[in-house]
Amino acid sequence: MTAHDDTTHGETAGSESRPDEESDARTDGGALEPASGHAEAHDDGHDDHHGLGPTSSVKRWFVTTNHKDIGILYLVTSLGFLMMGGALALLMRAQLWSPRAPGAGPLSAFAYNQAVSVHGLIMVFWFLSPFAFGFANYVVPLQLGAKDLAFPRLNALSYWGYLASGLLLFASFFQGGTFAGGWTMYAPLNLPTFTPSVGGSAAVLALMLFVASVTVSSVNFLTTMHRMRAKGLTLRRMPLFSWTILLTVWMMLFAFAALLAALLILSADRLIGTTYFAQNGAAGAVLWTHLFWFFGHPEVYIVFFPALGVMAETFQTFTGRRIVGRKWFIAAMVLVALQSFIVWMHHMFLTSINLEIKTLFMATTIGISLPFDLMVFSLIYTMVKGRIRFKTPFLFSFGGLLLFIIGGITGVFLGAVVLDYEFRGTYWVVAHFHYVMVGGVTALIGGLYYWYPKITGRMYDEFLGKLHFGLYFVGFNLLYFPMFVAWETPRRVFDYSEGMTPWHRLATIGAVILGGSFLVMIYNLVVSAYSGEIAGDNPWKYSSTAEWAVSSPPPLENFPGVPTYGSGRLEFLGGSSDALDTTDDDGDGDGPAAAADGGETPTAGAGDAIANADAAMSESVSADAAMDEAARADAAMDEAASADAAMAESATADAVTGSAVREDVAPEPSIPADEAHEDGVHASHASIWPALIGGSFLLLFLGLSGYTGGSFPEGAMGTAYAAATGLGFLAVLGSLIGMARERFVGPAGPFGESWPFAKVSNMKTGMWIFLASDVVLFGAFIGAYVFLRFASGWVAWEPIPNNIMPGLINTYILLTSSFTVILALEAAERESRKGVVASLLATLLLGLGFLGNKAIEWEHLFHQGIWLSENVRASTFFLTTGLHGAHVIVGLLVTLYMIPRAWSGAYLGESEPIEYFGLYWHFVDIVWLFLFPLFYIL
Amino acid sequence: MLGVVTLLGGVLGPAQLVPDGTRAEVFQRIYEVFLLLGTVVGVVVIAYMLYKAYKYRESAEHGAEEGRPELGELPSGGGGGRKLFLSFTLSAIIVLSLISWTYFTLLYVENPEPAGDADPITVEVIGHQFYWEFVYPNGHSTQGELVVPEDRRIRLEVTATDVFHNFGVPELRAKADAIPGQQTDTWMIAEDTGTYQANCYELCGAGHSHMTGTVRVVTAEEFETWYANTTNESANATANESSNESVTAAATLARPDAGSVTPTATAPRDARLADPDAQFADPVRRAGFGTPRAAVASTASGGEPA
Repeated sequence: MTAHDDTTHGETAGSESRPDEESDARTDGGALEPASGHAEAHDDGHDDHHGLGPTSSVKRWFVTTNHKDIGILYLVTSLGFLMMGGALALLMRAQLWSPRAPGAGPLSAFAYNQAVSVHGLIMVFWFLSPFAFGFANYVVPLQLGAKDLAFPRLNALSYWGYLASGLLLFASFFQGGTFAGGWTMYAPLNLPTFTPSVGGSAAVLALMLFVASVTVSSVNFLTTMHRMRAKGLTLRRMPLFSWTILLTVWMMLFAFAALLAALLILSADRLIGTTYFAQNGAAGAVLWTHLFWFFGHPEVYIVFFPALGVMAETFQTFTGRRIVGRKWFIAAMVLVALQSFIVWMHHMFLTSINLEIKTLFMATTIGISLPFDLMVFSLIYTMVKGRIRFKTPFLFSFGGLLLFIIGGITGVFLGAVVLDYEFRGTYWVVAHFHYVMVGGVTALIGGLYYWYPKITGRMYDEFLGKLHFGLYFVGFNLLYFPMFVAWETPRRVFDYSEGMTPWHRLATIGAVILGGSFLVMIYNLVVSAYSGEIAGDNPWKYSSTAEWAVSSPPPLENFPGVPTYGSGRLEFLGGSSDALDTTDDDGDGDGPAAAADGGETPTAGAGDAIANADAAMSESVSADAAMDEAARADAAMDEAASADAAMAESATADAVTGSAVREDVAPEPSIPADEAHEDGVHASHASIWPALIGGSFLLLFLGLSGYTGGSFPEGAMGTAYAAATGLGFLAVLGSLIGMARERFVGPAGPFGESWPFAKVSNMKTGMWIFLASDVVLFGAFIGAYVFLRFASGWVAWEPIPNNIMPGLINTYILLTSSFTVILALEAAERESRKGVVASLLATLLLGLGFLGNKAIEWEHLFHQGIWLSENVRASTFFLTTGLHGAHVIVGLLVTLYMIPRAWSGAYLGESEPIEYFGLYWHFVDIVWLFLFPLFYIL
Repeated sequence: MLGVVTLLGGVLGPAQLVPDGTRAEVFQRIYEVFLLLGTVVGVVVIAYMLYKAYKYRESAEHGAEEGRPELGELPSGGGGGRKLFLSFTLSAIIVLSLISWTYFTLLYVENPEPAGDADPITVEVIGHQFYWEFVYPNGHSTQGELVVPEDRRIRLEVTATDVFHNFGVPELRAKADAIPGQQTDTWMIAEDTGTYQANCYELCGAGHSHMTGTVRVVTAEEFETWYANTTNESANATANESSNESVTAAATLARPDAGSVTPTATAPRDARLADPDAQFADPVRRAGFGTPRAAVASTASGGEPA
């Protein structure tokens, strides 16, 4: 990005400065040059408008909501975490240089376990996915023909949440040692009884914050990808990298919801003393394995799919052949994405699951390996009759595929249950998943080189790139292949048998080479960013996707006109005439038509910004509870805190919907960018609030990490943690309100292809998608309850409330409140102000009645001495209904915000915000219809 | 494909198709077939890949310049679907037949016929931070060392008292998760007398790396003599006592705040942990599994008077 200005200069000189072999290759790119020149100017003009400043200013990076900037932030940050995870890996490899007696070697046993655990957590969560999502952020909107993601501020919020969670994880090392129970966090080792350090809780909370930001991101990407594709770019026609990202975010939406449930329960166990995973429980440990692996297996594909996408793109570009069997490739991926949710128990073959289940999961596991065969063959056959250029990106992709083949074959070993029995917990598994996952990383590094000229406008040094590949590939195989040979070594053990020493030493040497190769890469990429050759718009022969049709780097709003594939080829309509020269001459006439139906001013209620504020407030309620409790240790308050951890999440999650609503300020009004600018309605590109929210959450979660077993510790540290919690809470509240009140104009339609949500607004689509993940969240909570109840004998488990009346009354109250929301919607449609206000007020009162009734009920239970840490029955009751209660509180805060707005006539004839709120509210009611029988009657 | 079949036949040889016997034998047979086929498939596929990459390098100028991907085109696929499906079918056949073959072995492993004429012995294996406890049918309990007769099926009922462990004896190919509140069953047969090492295969805390045990396989007669001398009461008394100490020690280990595995000097096991020399003093090894830890564990049986 620093090359920004030079790029503009270099525009005309582009073809000369291109690498020699490529210069004659561009058959069609040349025509695009003028267009990008135009775009560049366009962009510069806008930077000032939107308060972004130049890329060299620090401020820009804190306020930007632009997908390309955020993509760069993701890439740089994730590479930072790669260094951190790599440093931990090198520490481990140093410890493994020889078999070590206790206390010998550079690391203590506790330090080694921390290194093992956090290495895994960082690489899987804080490096791999965010690295892939750096590309997703940068490239996907370009490939789709979208100006930005559907909710740009939420995108920034995801990034800042990610960074905050990573910083918290880093801080956890200094809080008495971080989490040391492995990245799989098996119960009950994950409880304070066995991993008591404050840093342990901080790491769990950090992961929770990370997951919350992933959920925000998933909703954002899904809405964007389903709603905002260029005309003619149907799902079937979507470029393969975008396809892999689409499937990845769908898997993320559901898999991470399950992980969120697991982490909420774990945090409740750690912080406020519920007993889900307690060692004396009958099935807590197995429950964790189910929850974790239900997330954990899709996670494998979540981290690998983007790499597959990079392979597909680079294979096509560098072989000059279209992907063989492209539609089967896509079908195979869809199949894998679906199937990934029914293979998780193959991680549990040695637990007490029975033979029938093992057979079933063996079959699904083998089933899921087959589509990958097809994809691999498809990539290999793509090379046939190609014109393969062994540029750095291709070398990495090719190498990545090769490594993945080895990872895949060794994975088939694990699919055979009898072999899996013996490989479980050994270096075979370690070697296998490193070949698969780091194989994926290899391809992603290829992606980094591939898109580097697009991102920076300059070309990396080819020789250094190849040198990097050579060192990387040798280092990789030296590091991981010996692990297959020394597979009898138990995992996470540094006292291995002496016969294995040479292999482990070889691996350590490989690790140093692999790590060192990244220094070459960093040197290359940093230096080239300043002094590399100007790359031009399209440095790669045979590239075909839309990101190569715009300047390098692309202008702020991406395209010189409205991108469309309406004629079968990419064109930019409605921009200046030179923009239309793209590739074809036909179709110019569509330009005005596309813009014709614009012109409406933004309407949909800025009102729903409320959701933000209230999400924040729900948080406040819970955090308050936590603090009060710390002070008084009073039973009643303590319960309120049970929902605390839960709420922290739901607050975050709802902040999603909240600001999603807000950003829909200009949802349907269809103003093409250029028109809009002339009217003075600019799409916004800057907001400081996401960064502030991220920072506030960091402070809040840092404070909460000190909260253990229902109270803050004594002494100065305890006070500091309590203060951080309080301040963090206030800051979260303040920044969420700030974001809600900010006027922000998101990207506006009309969009070309929106299947299957053509008739639904971005906001509504986002709400539905968010609710889908909430279904999984509650599903996991209910599943956990049912699982534990079965384990302790279904009948022997008495429901906690001895009186079903409060629950029954609450059922009626909630159902009635759903009805009043419908009345409000109906009143808004016939423009009756009083009707809207009265119905919303009724909803608020009914909701308050629900909460009051529940408070009385809980108060009674506390008086009977039933407390959430009493037993697992009580834990499930209070935590699950508490999570639901938190959702009710969020809903009421939204209502509270909407009533005064309704009084001033906000929703008359524009009932969408009420409709969106209604969706949420009905969902909350439906959840209660499941909870009531489960927890009161059965 | 034909070659593969021949190779497969060669490995299976005259033996019956579904291997049985001890778990070590079963594992070895299947592992060898997988390793062989895996290597063959891997080498063939990767060699093919490298060959094609070389053959179609740009300087070889294969194919026409037209018909190549162009900037701004709607993505579409290249041809070659038939070959793709042929390869896919071939790989599916290999994988499916291999897995179904091992499935029958799984059925055997899950539900073995009685081996030998003696009844199996059932031993309860209990994982603690950070040692193994073995409880015999007569209530006798030992720590760190499991004594079993040769050529007789040992049923293991595995559980844990504190955290998730995994009990595994690599040479005998027995392994099972040790989960608090749950029991998992597995079995093993040792054909030769000697000392084998047991490991913990699930991260269980600061002492995980050194949570080993010994399986001492003796002749049937020796076992009978040994077993006859064990009694419920005395063994339990000792076991309880030393187990208490070990638990104290374990608690120390479990507190990461303590910094590292710095054992207190109260229990014999801790003395072992504290003295690395003692740990490597007595190299009882078995071919291919030269593990000094095995030797250590044998001196650490918790039955010793404290």
